[in-house]
Amino acid sequence: MKEASFEAVTLSALEAMSVEELDALPYGALGFGPDTIVQRYNATEARMSGLDPSTVVGVPFFDAVAQCMNNFMVAQRFVDEPQLDEIVPYLLTLRMRPTKVRLRLLADPGMPRHYILIER
Amino acid sequence: MTEKSSEEQLLEFLYACPVGLIECDLAGDIGLMNPHAMQHLLPLAGPRDASNLFAAFEQHAPELRSLAATYTPATGKICDGHRIFVDLGRGRRTQAPTVLACTIVKLGPDRLMVTLSDISHQVVQEERLRQADTWFATLLDGVNAYASLALTSDGQIASAGACFTHQTGHDNAAVVGRHLADILANDGTGGDLQLNEQLEIAGRDGWHLQEGWQNRADGERYWCQRLVVARSDGDGLEPTGYSVVLREVPRREAAAEDMRRLLTCDHLTGASNRRHFANVMEREHAHWRELRQSLSLIVLDLDHFKAVNDTYGHPAGDALLCKVVTACAGLLPPRGIFARLGGEEFGALLPRHDQDQALALAEQMREAIAALHINTQHGALTATASLGIATLDEAGGSIDTLIKLADERLYAAKNAGRNQVYRPQACAA
Repeated sequence: MKEASFEAVTLSALEAMSVEELDALPYGALGFGPDTIVQRYNATEARMSGLDPSTVVGVPFFDAVAQCMNNFMVAQRFVDEPQLDEIVPYLLTLRMRPTKVRLRLLADPGMPRHYILIER
Repeated sequence: MTEKSSEEQLLEFLYACPVGLIECDLAGDIGLMNPHAMQHLLPLAGPRDASNLFAAFEQHAPELRSLAATYTPATGKICDGHRIFVDLGRGRRTQAPTVLACTIVKLGPDRLMVTLSDISHQVVQEERLRQADTWFATLLDGVNAYASLALTSDGQIASAGACFTHQTGHDNAAVVGRHLADILANDGTGGDLQLNEQLEIAGRDGWHLQEGWQNRADGERYWCQRLVVARSDGDGLEPTGYSVVLREVPRREAAAEDMRRLLTCDHLTGASNRRHFANVMEREHAHWRELRQSLSLIVLDLDHFKAVNDTYGHPAGDALLCKVVTACAGLLPPRGIFARLGGEEFGALLPRHDQDQALALAEQMREAIAALHINTQHGALTATASLGIATLDEAGGSIDTLIKLADERLYAAKNAGRNQVYRPQACAA
């Protein structure tokens, strides 16, 4: 499972994963389209955030789910950089508590979805 | 489908709430906050601690800490819609908010509830409304009390009414074809915009209004509102000419002066605030582009200030900050300004100062600070500062580079042992 680690997993590998495989990852993973509408939201992330995936999928990610990432440090980067693979230390508000995390931002012009991986 | 639990509903509500909500203790340590609050806090905090409210705002609103500390009632509103001007740099200006409103309520002996919201658009609208108000007042109050002129696109007077003669003492027929800026020339020592600068802004925004001293032909000064409106024929974006309205008005009274001070000064020390500093920097930058007179920046940071607060307490630290401002502001040249840029960080902008002059002034400031002495109940408090300077010429005319260069030199002064001014030639030697 080394190739599925937080640092090593590729965007195409994430795209190829089934729902069950995505859910089994030890870190949070979510995928959204160019319109920021959430299409994939794995079980690990649902557990961390306390949100039911069914209420998150279909919702604009930065406007309604993760406003804390709606700034030039995260959201703007997906707008500015079509090709993106970077790990940034970040502070999230999981269940409203400031929580130090690492984010991995993934985008590729050839892929239908962008991904954000969240490691607590 | 199962019914959502109430906890899930509450979480969804808090995740989606478009207002920042924060709960913290009196020291600012955040216990709970929603994502919207973090969206604003994180970019402001930079390398500082974003999980402490006061640390995160140290740079942009250092007054929050003292507002909370000096609030004595057990419960109640510490501030309501307190405006925080944020400037995250040029590249980020378009997306990022520029004004946040902050309300702090004290809920108990060690519990604060804070809300944050972005009111940038509201502030822009207020500004427009205020300008529009003054504009209409200018036109409606006493039809004879204003002088109107038409200018060509390069500032030449195309026509001037009889009122112009009456108000300024210059013959309205004789001034046609001359540059208005030459006729209305003032000494340029105040913070007022020059006419050419006003034309530039009016060309960009449609209009610009300012109040300031104006000279009549016989040299008498009077207080005057000067409105510049850009005219265009509709096709091109470039203005084809300008209309200028001059209106003699009573000098603004104490209340307006208070409001101005509130908007431009740091709450604690009375130094210029960050926002005013940024505005003046933009204005002087425009001067530099046109006139190429030197412009220097000093950045100054008190050494080991955190230890001062920890050892002598925040009130002593605050007193020190005030003394630093008094000492340094007294050394400024006529058009220079001294501003508090963050907690213990200050900046001095020095128009018409080259590198040598700025270095000499920085050295004077360093000496003045090292000579400060405050008696506290924990003994005598003294301080030192590290300083960096840079000139706009060195920075190739970029304000961002100017700030970066001065900052780097400030840190070089820190690394070289503090209590000193970093000397660029020392590293070249």
